[in-house]
This record gives sequence, structure tokens and C-alpha cells, in this order.
Amino acid sequence: MYRKKLLVTCFRLPVTGNRKLITHMKENRLSLRFLRWFCPPALYEGIEGDLLEQYEYDVEQVGAQKANRRLVWNVLKFFRPGIFLRNRFSNQLINTMMWGNYMKVAARNIQKRKFYSFINAFGLSIGLAFCMLITLYIQDEKEFDQFHANKNQVYRIEEKSFDTWRHDAADPYRKSAWIQTGLAPTLKEELPEVAAATRFNEGNRVIFRYGDKVFTESVAYVDKDFFTMFSFPLLQGSAERIFMDKLEVVITPAIATKYFGDEDPIGKTIEIDNNGKQSFTVTGIIEAPPAQSSLTYAILLPQENRNYYERNMTNWGNFGTPTFVQLRANSDLAAFKTNLDKVIDKHMSAMLERWRKETTVPIPPDVKMLEYEFTVLPQIHLKKEVSWEKVSDPQYAFILGGIALLIMLIACINYISLSLTTSAARRVEVGVRKVVGAQRNQLLYQFSFESLLLAMSSLVIGFGLVVLFLSSFNEFTNKAIELTLPKAFQLLSIGLAFTLITGLLAGSYPSWFLSRFKPALVLKGGFTSRLQAGFTKPLVVLQFALSAFLIICSVMMFRQMRFITTKDLGYNKEQILVIPTQAGWTEESDRVVEQFRTRAQQESQIVSVSGTSSSFSQGYSRYGFKVKGEQKSAYVYAADPNYIPTLGIQLLEGRNFDPAIAADSDVVIVNEALVKDMKWTDPLNEYYNWREDSVGMGSRVIGVVKDYHFLSLEQNFEPMFLSMDKNNVGYLTTLLVKVGADVTAGLDRVKSIWKELYPDKPFDYTFLDEDVAKQYASYKRWMSIMGLATGFAILISCLGLFGLAGINAVNRTKEIGIRKVMGADMQTIFILLNKQFIVLAVLAFAMAAPLSWWFITKWYMKDFTFQVPLSWDLFALSMGAGLLLALATVSYHAIKAALINPAETLKYE
Amino acid sequence: MSKEFLGEFEELVLTMAGILQEEAYGNAIVSEIKQRVGRDVNLSAVHVTLYRLEDKGFVKSKMGGATNQRGGRRKRIFTVTNAGLAMLRNMKEARMDLWKLIPQLKMVIV
Repeated sequence: MYRKKLLVTCFRLPVTGNRKLITHMKENRLSLRFLRWFCPPALYEGIEGDLLEQYEYDVEQVGAQKANRRLVWNVLKFFRPGIFLRNRFSNQLINTMMWGNYMKVAARNIQKRKFYSFINAFGLSIGLAFCMLITLYIQDEKEFDQFHANKNQVYRIEEKSFDTWRHDAADPYRKSAWIQTGLAPTLKEELPEVAAATRFNEGNRVIFRYGDKVFTESVAYVDKDFFTMFSFPLLQGSAERIFMDKLEVVITPAIATKYFGDEDPIGKTIEIDNNGKQSFTVTGIIEAPPAQSSLTYAILLPQENRNYYERNMTNWGNFGTPTFVQLRANSDLAAFKTNLDKVIDKHMSAMLERWRKETTVPIPPDVKMLEYEFTVLPQIHLKKEVSWEKVSDPQYAFILGGIALLIMLIACINYISLSLTTSAARRVEVGVRKVVGAQRNQLLYQFSFESLLLAMSSLVIGFGLVVLFLSSFNEFTNKAIELTLPKAFQLLSIGLAFTLITGLLAGSYPSWFLSRFKPALVLKGGFTSRLQAGFTKPLVVLQFALSAFLIICSVMMFRQMRFITTKDLGYNKEQILVIPTQAGWTEESDRVVEQFRTRAQQESQIVSVSGTSSSFSQGYSRYGFKVKGEQKSAYVYAADPNYIPTLGIQLLEGRNFDPAIAADSDVVIVNEALVKDMKWTDPLNEYYNWREDSVGMGSRVIGVVKDYHFLSLEQNFEPMFLSMDKNNVGYLTTLLVKVGADVTAGLDRVKSIWKELYPDKPFDYTFLDEDVAKQYASYKRWMSIMGLATGFAILISCLGLFGLAGINAVNRTKEIGIRKVMGADMQTIFILLNKQFIVLAVLAFAMAAPLSWWFITKWYMKDFTFQVPLSWDLFALSMGAGLLLALATVSYHAIKAALINPAETLKYE
Repeated sequence: MSKEFLGEFEELVLTMAGILQEEAYGNAIVSEIKQRVGRDVNLSAVHVTLYRLEDKGFVKSKMGGATNQRGGRRKRIFTVTNAGLAMLRNMKEARMDLWKLIPQLKMVIV
């Protein structure tokens, strides 16, 4: 019955149907091509025929469109192991039988060539270790701030306003997370979508006193909502009741033990001195923030305790308070933005209009004076355009990844070139295997298996290296990554992926090359023992170019760092102690300086004592003002008459401040940059009207100092002046004490004087030269990372080169023997063997030099205004060193080969 | 061969191949199963099963002649081998033997 029906169907589909079929088929060519791709050729026709028959039937029954869809679906259903693995079935059967043999041969090979196996495994394991470390780094970056339950509803508010300091038409805005103190309460009150809001000012130093324990502590000022918005666990106290009162403090367990020991801290009162002493009650213990938190704190105080809080609450022109808000679930962010604009209109429009009129830098009319933007909590960490304590440049991950990739590449090249050059030894094996019946596929499997085996053992070593070097890696990258068990497993699986990829990548070309040998040619013995693996030379060049690139970069970084650390800054930074007066921003501070100076005069170990508003690298004040209708700005440091001599600053013209002259409280000493900025020709007869004094002429200039680097060397000399004007510049809040040549004795002396004068104040000190060096800490870190990577890269590529040179020498043993018999001396042979490596190395350097030059100027040097000049000798030096290293590496084999008695090598002939 | 077992689906396909004789190819078997057992089966599943049966030696296949239909593609015709027939018979008999052991139900008329 069926047969009849079928026949009818067949007849019902005459030639026209076939034509229709062909037109429809065009659409389905792709699916059929897919079928042809995976389907074993032997089965293809029958399957395709069945599919087409079904298709014809479907066209008749359900129409072309649906039939097309069914066809595609049917083809997909054929994509199953029973079909696409069918033609490989026989191979697989044998392969599984051969595993044992492969394993044995691989092990024998590794054993036979211990040294090459070591080079390969060493390179690969270091490469893998680097890759895994970078993975950890990237993972850590991604996990930042992810632990907050409300992370997707908490936003940081940012200010976006016209930047009057920087005149950049392309991007005239300044973005900052520091906004007005009054904004957080206003937003919470006026905007319905804001569920909670907190301000967060971290890093304010106040003095803590409990019993006889007196320390300076860094506190964070927050609001009540802080405890509910963020997921920092409260160990004691309840989030609802904390900070009902202004005089409360919440501390971390570490602080609690520091002051209270084993006692229960809750309910204890502690005296906090922040421009006036007050007693605070401990009402909560909060867990210390994890390393992956953008917010850090040790002690939390209510915002209301900040200095000038009341004044700042009403002053919409004071930007100094980072603010976080939590929006209600499903809030419309666009609506939130418009609401923020409305808040600006309501509270700040008058002020902003006034600013626009007052500023002398013309602000384009389409530029808004002020806008608020916001960033969701987990993205804060990588938003580098807004400065934040723990912000990180995503570029770092790329650079670290790039370094890892370079090392991996160098190690892979080692593997490839070594297996190619040693392939001569395995030629006979390949020949015999083929004769016995191995197919090319099988040989490919075998050699890939060998490289995978090597890569796997490298993975084990590499993982060990990761565990070993994690702490130093943390130090280099300024992280606190810990290898927990789940993390280790995750890392191992990622490492496994890396291993498989590199094992296959590095193994593919050699196995392809090895399996290509024709058995008849190989077994006949027509080959000489030399092997022409032409592909190795470009590989070696590439490898050396990569190493050279790293060498040049790290030498450049090293030079720049040396330049920075040894550059004459224009003042004497040695033997100077920097001590905060701990008396707040008051006249009391000035008195501390005076007292200390008087007391120190009797001491032989203390050379001089001076006071200033802030030491270098510990912040600065910068004033902007109009002089004769022109916008000017200058940095200012409060100083006293001892300032210039203590720091050894060179006075070019005029005189220093004189304590005997009362009028000196209103004079300034300026630097050369300021003179140039003001276009003065005779600065000593000028007045500097920095207070925009409309009556007087401003401050008289009494001296000009030579430019010195009060800013980091990333910046140029900027206009700066020194003043003793207490009311406008401020008080001497920092002591600069220069001690004698015996620094430790001097420090002890200073300490005992401090204890004697101010027994109730903590003695916090730093050394000026260390402070200055700290500015370059991140550069120094990068230099060490680069140096380390370079070291490994050189080591790996030199090992590879060493191996290659060895093979090369062995390949030419007979030639050398004959040459020696003919009368060649050692020098000739030495040159003969090394010539090609030198050529390759020079070629590599020629490639690497422009690349590294581009990289170093584009990425590294641009950060510094004061740069060590890029000169030819850098390249010459790096190249010389590289060549020497390469030469030293290959020479061992060359000398060994040249020293062999020719009788030894030729007697077998 | 007696150690080889056939799965239920394999047995079905093998039986259909036996029924269809020289018309036993993928599509025809699918339709035949639909026709006779009322079961919708997958073309690809039938193909894979046929190949498996071929591996086991229960069917052999050859390409039929080219026709104008099916885009001019030839059919792969499967024929049941003696081993296949013997297998089918064994299975049927084994099953019948077992069936006889089940106590037959008697109709009770009230």
C-alpha cells in the first residue's frame, strides 16, 4: 500500500516539480553545504537524496516556506555523532589502542632530550604562571565592589563642570566625585526615587585619646544610611539605631583592640580632637572593608562632626563631599538625571550664572556650568576619569595581559623551533610508523599528544609558581589577592584552557611538519643529517624582537626612574623630618612651630626648624584670581623665615622673610615661573595682587627663588609664591625639621623633645625624601613588573637560543671536522657558527627599536613633563647588551664544537 | 551472533527493511513506520540505526539507480541479510516462548 502511494507521489512530482525544487534549493544551499561538510562522503548521496525527497513532499503538502524550514531542521538533526564521526570510526579504534605506545614514546623522548624538554617546560610553565597571575588580576578587578547586596541601586554622584584650569576645547569638562555637602540631604528630601543617601569623606586625620593611648587616626565621615546602603557587616550595634546622635563613633575590630584591648568597646567613650576636643560614644563595631572595596575606612563618624559643617551645608559653591545615593528599585535613570538638573536649577542657578559672568575664561554658551552624573557602584573602580582612592586604569590589565602574552609567545616559539630542529631524530620513527600503517592523522594526534603532555606538566609547575609568587605579585600590583580553594580550582581550570590552547598551538606546526615526511625518502636514507627547517629563522627573529622590545622598554623605564630619583629638585630633601603640628588649622599650630624651634635651638643634632602649610606631595593650595582682567593662578605655601634656608632653596633676587620686619607678613616671595607668567621684568618692584584687593596694590614682591620641584616631576614648574600672611594663606601646620648627618640620633632627639613638649599629642613623622619618592611608587611598581617580565623573557629566549645553537653545532659537526682538517683555526669556526645568530639578533633589534620607541613615548613618557632624553645610546646599549647575551649563549656550543678533535667526528665515516 | 542484541528501535527498523524489500531506504522506512505503527520517527535516527545494523552485519546496502526525482540523487537501498533474518526470527521465537509462559486470561461471562 505504501509502495503504491509512493509511486503516486513520485509521479505527482514531474519535471516541473524538479525545477521548482532547484529554485527553492538555492535558499537551502547553505544547509546542504553544511551537510556535505560534516557528512562522510560515502553516506552523503543517500542522505541528501532522502532529505530532498522529504523536501519535495513537504513542498507539496505544506508549502515551500515551511518545507525549507523543515529541511534545515532535518539537516541539523543529522548533525549527530552517529553520522559525522562515522568515517573516523576506524581511526579512533586504533588510536585508543595506541595511547599506551604514544605515552611510552613521549616519555622516552622527554628523557632522551632532557635539556630540551627542560627548556620547553621551563618556558611554558613561566608563561602559564604569568597568564594565571594576570587572570587573577583581571578577576580581582572585576570582583571589585561586587559584594554589596544593593550594588546595582547604589550610585555615586559626580560633578561635571567646565574646567577653568585646563583649556581643552575637545573636552572642556572636569569630572569629580567631590560635590557639595548639602546635596545628599537635599536629594533624599526632594527626589522621590532616592531611597537613601550617604556622604563619605575618608582620610581626615584626627587625634584619638583613650586613657594613655594617643594616636592620630584617619576617620571617615558618613551618614546614617551608610550602614543600610552598603553591605559592610555590623558586628555589634544595630543599623537602625546607630548615629542617632552626633557624638557617636563606629569602629572596626582592629581599632577596638588597639584602644580597648579585650574590654567590650560598646558604650565606651573616647576623646576625639578635631579642632577641639569632644567625647564620643562607641555604638557599633563594623567589619573592616575587604580588599576589593572602593570604600575604605577604619573609623566612622557622623558627617555633622566635620569642620565648618554648618557653613558648608548652605554653601553650594564648596565641592568637597563624595556622595552616594540608593535609588528605589526600577527607577528610571533618565528621569533621575532630569531631576538632578532640576535640583541644580532650584538651588544653584543664581550662583552658576554669577560664576559664568565672573569668569574671564570665556565659557561657551552651550556648556553647562554644572551637571551631575552618576556611576553605579561596581563601575566606580574602573572609571579612571573620576579620581578616587582605589580607582584603577583598565589599561593596566591590558598591559599586564600583553606582557603575559609576549612571554607565552616566546615560550611557544622555543617549543616550535626546538621541535623542528630536533625533528631529524624522529624522522625514522615517522617513516617506520607510516610503513607499518599509520595514517597522517594518527601521527598528528601523536605529536599533538606529546606537546599536550609537555604543556600539562608545565601547567603543574606553573601553578606551583603562581602559589609561590602570589605574594610578590600582590606587592607589585598593589593588590591583596588570596588563593582560596574554590579560586584555586577556578584558576586551575582556566590554566587548563590556556594549556590546551598553547599546547595545540605550539604543537600544531611541528606535528604537521613531522607527519609530512615521506616514508620512502626517509627510510632510504637519502637525507643528510642536516635539516632545513626554514621556518625557524623568522621565529627566532620574532622571539628576539620581542625580547629586545622588552629590554628597551625596561631600560627606558629604569633610566627615567633613575632620572627622577636623582634629579636635583632645586631644594635639599635629605635629612628633613616632616611632622604635623597636630594642632589643627589654628594659630596654635604657629605657636607649636615657634615653641619647637626655641626648644631645638639648644640641640646640636637639630640643624634648623621651619614651618609650612603643607609639605611636598602632601597636598597643596592653589589660588585662582584675576589680575588686570586676566585669569591667573598660583600655588601657595605658607612659610616662615627659616623655610628657604632649611630647604636650601636658592634665592635669585631680593631677600628672605625677616622676622624683625613687621610688614613682612604681607609680602611674597615668588618663583621664576610666576615672574614669567606675570611678564615682569623687574619683579622686586612689583606688587602681586593675588587677593584681588581693589584698594591696595597687593603684596609686595621681596624676593625671587629659583624654580624648584614642589610638584611631582610629572608636572612642569608652575607659578608659586611663599607668604607669611596668616589670615589668607593659613597657618604653619607642618614642621620641617632638618637634622644632622646622624639621622637616627637626630630622629631620637626630635622625638624626645616632642614628648617633652606635647606629651598628649601623637608624634607622626615622615622623611621628606621618602614622601617625594612615594609620588613615583606606581611607576616604580611598573618598572619592577616590566623588569621581571624582561628578565624572564630574556631567560626563556636565551635558553631557546642555546638549544638551537646546540643543535646547529651538532648538525655541522662533520663540516667542522673537515674544515679543521683542512686547516681552519678556531676563530674561523667560531665566526662560522655564530654569524647567523648575530645577523638574526641585529635584524630583531632593528624591528624592535621603532616599536619600543613608539610604545615608550606613547604610553610611558607622556606622563612626565621632565623626561630623560631618548637618545641613540639607549638603543645602542640595549642592542649591545642583547647581542652580547646572545653571543655568550651561542658561544658555548661554538667553542665546544670548535674544540672537538676532528678525528673523533670523522672516524665513523 | 547470538550474543548480539537488538534494541527495540533497531528491531523495528530491521523489520521494516524486511517488509519493504528493494524499496527499503531511509524515507520509505520512516513513512512505513508512520503508516503501520503510527509512530513519528526521525529520519536521521533511522539512518544512524541502519548504519549501525550494517556494522553489525544485519543489513547490507547498495546504491540504487539514479532517477529524476530527489534532485537526481540515488537511494541507498538496504537489504536484510541472512544474519538479520535469523536475528529477527530468534527474537520473535524467544518472545513467543516467553508469551506462552504467561497464564492466559479467561473471559468471564456473567
